[in-house]
Amino acid sequence: MMNHAAKAGKFLADLKRADWHDQTLWIMRKKRDKAVSCVPEWEELRDKASQIKEHVLSNLDAYLLQFEVEAVKNGAQVHWAFDSESFNQKVYSIINGYQAQKVVKSKSMLTEECGLNPYLEDKGIEVVDTDLGERIIQLRGEPPSHMVVPAIHLKKEEIGELFHSKLGTEKGLADAQKLTSAARQHLRKKFLSAEVAITGVNFSVAETGTVVVCTNEGNADMGVQIAPVQIHCMGIEKILPRVEDLGIFIQMLARNATGQPITTYTSHYQKPKPGGAMHIIIVDNGRSEHLGNSKYRDSLKCIRCGACLNTCPVYRRSGGHSYNYVISGPVGSILSPIYSINKYKDLPFASSLCGSCTNVCPVKINIHQQLYSWRQEIFEKRLIPTSKRYGFKFAGKILASSRYYNFFGKNIRWALKHLPRKVLYHRINIWGRCRELPPAPDKTFNQWYQENYKRN
Amino acid sequence: MYKDKIIQRIQKNKHSLRPLPENPPKMEDKIDLSAKFCENLKIVGADVFRIDDESLVSPFIDLHFPNAVDFSDPETWKEYSSTDPIDKFNKLNTVILRGQFGVAENGAVWLDDTFFSQRIVPFIAQHLVIKLSKKNLVGGMVEAYRKINLTKTGFGVFISGPSKTADIEQVLVFGAHGPLKHTVLLIN
Repeated sequence: MMNHAAKAGKFLADLKRADWHDQTLWIMRKKRDKAVSCVPEWEELRDKASQIKEHVLSNLDAYLLQFEVEAVKNGAQVHWAFDSESFNQKVYSIINGYQAQKVVKSKSMLTEECGLNPYLEDKGIEVVDTDLGERIIQLRGEPPSHMVVPAIHLKKEEIGELFHSKLGTEKGLADAQKLTSAARQHLRKKFLSAEVAITGVNFSVAETGTVVVCTNEGNADMGVQIAPVQIHCMGIEKILPRVEDLGIFIQMLARNATGQPITTYTSHYQKPKPGGAMHIIIVDNGRSEHLGNSKYRDSLKCIRCGACLNTCPVYRRSGGHSYNYVISGPVGSILSPIYSINKYKDLPFASSLCGSCTNVCPVKINIHQQLYSWRQEIFEKRLIPTSKRYGFKFAGKILASSRYYNFFGKNIRWALKHLPRKVLYHRINIWGRCRELPPAPDKTFNQWYQENYKRN
Repeated sequence: MYKDKIIQRIQKNKHSLRPLPENPPKMEDKIDLSAKFCENLKIVGADVFRIDDESLVSPFIDLHFPNAVDFSDPETWKEYSSTDPIDKFNKLNTVILRGQFGVAENGAVWLDDTFFSQRIVPFIAQHLVIKLSKKNLVGGMVEAYRKINLTKTGFGVFISGPSKTADIEQVLVFGAHGPLKHTVLLIN
């Protein structure tokens, strides 16, 4: 498989498009800044949100059990799934239990993580993603490139082309309003005939057994309120202790994600609708193991707002598909190695370590520090390329000794001035592949200092 | 059982108990709630009309939304049952609902199923009109959640403006799946 750097290289081959991608996400970041600046107590909210999440993780078992008791009292059926396989099986067995064939689904990164769609499709179930962005990438057969705006990598002309071939819209249509309207008509038919609605979960409340789902499109509710059966899929870390805690998180989520004061719909599901059935599946899939990893535990606090993606200079210029993991961007780069350090060893290096991700995180995850820590582990486990490993070792030796440092400094300054470009940018100089070496100064800082200040 | 396995693993792996912070911060309450509420409604793409007196609401609705189906009237509930075919709901054009309270900080209105019998109504209609008393405004989400009693409701939702999406090149479009239009009548 191509690593992040190679895929990013491909992404950057079309420089104009890469610029457009960069700008589009930067606009989201700017909208976020504007919305956040309207909340004077923002930093206090971040502290509280982080503390609540830390508390929850330290008492997770009790809250999950309390949630189950309350949800069952409300008339919901609660199921537990240990891994993606048992989760997919559970969803299928619920659908099959109602002899249903048609499923509508609103956005859920958890179901992406578990590969639910292909599993159900294999069993002959029709699964329709109903979030517009998700539907677009589903029709294209692609994974999401961003956890909040899954089709952010696509131009309207490409979507027009896709809708022309899949939904029969007129050729050459490239108007966002008209394309959205075509999708609305197409998906309304799907809603009206759906037998089961699946949703993700943004938050759940232990004291009331409530499931909270936030959407702008209203697709979660169009599904849930029409289909006789509703299934909510929730990771174990989504739980909050009290209803009043929602006040903090709802205030932050949309502002930090898209710069809106709140999502259009913030739905609170407690009881099944009259004549309907409500299922909640609590999914672990590696999270309880992750909890025991004290160095990286904090990343379980993530509420999937996507702000760290929008702000990341590397994400914006490499696109979500360069990351070979379902969750892209900085937070994906610290979550993925927990599941397989071998498979995702390139991702912690997909960062400039500038720390902007940490600054925008609403629950104060120390993302850039975790990225750095992963790099050290990957180095120690000898998972980085040999050239890089020896390069680092060599650099370490030189930087640790002033004698070596002066010796190499002198020689490199000479080389930069006198050796031909062909030699300097030989392919063994990986660093120089996309970068220019700086012009060599005439003398070192030391020499300059000695001459100018030493004996004054 | 998966449940036992998950719970046991959490118990083995969790860190020592951290405190749960008390008293979430409060929005400053010196602001003019209705002005802020109306300002935010405009930001989220809604129309808002201030009506001076409850008695003027009916004539206003008759004039501006003559064909609206008024779900704020319990009599209407009798005509729409959960066993009715979904097509009947799909034909709803303009519907009127009563909002329980509004939130100045973001223009959202809380509706729950104690105020309307069929949960699909505010989502499936083309135009949602919400009646809301000016006295039922709160400053922020923290106060809002203190007002809600989730144990009493089966379903509740904050709605803030018409259904929207920006999934195509970040261009904001109203009417993704739910109502294309959202109107709030703020009644003195």
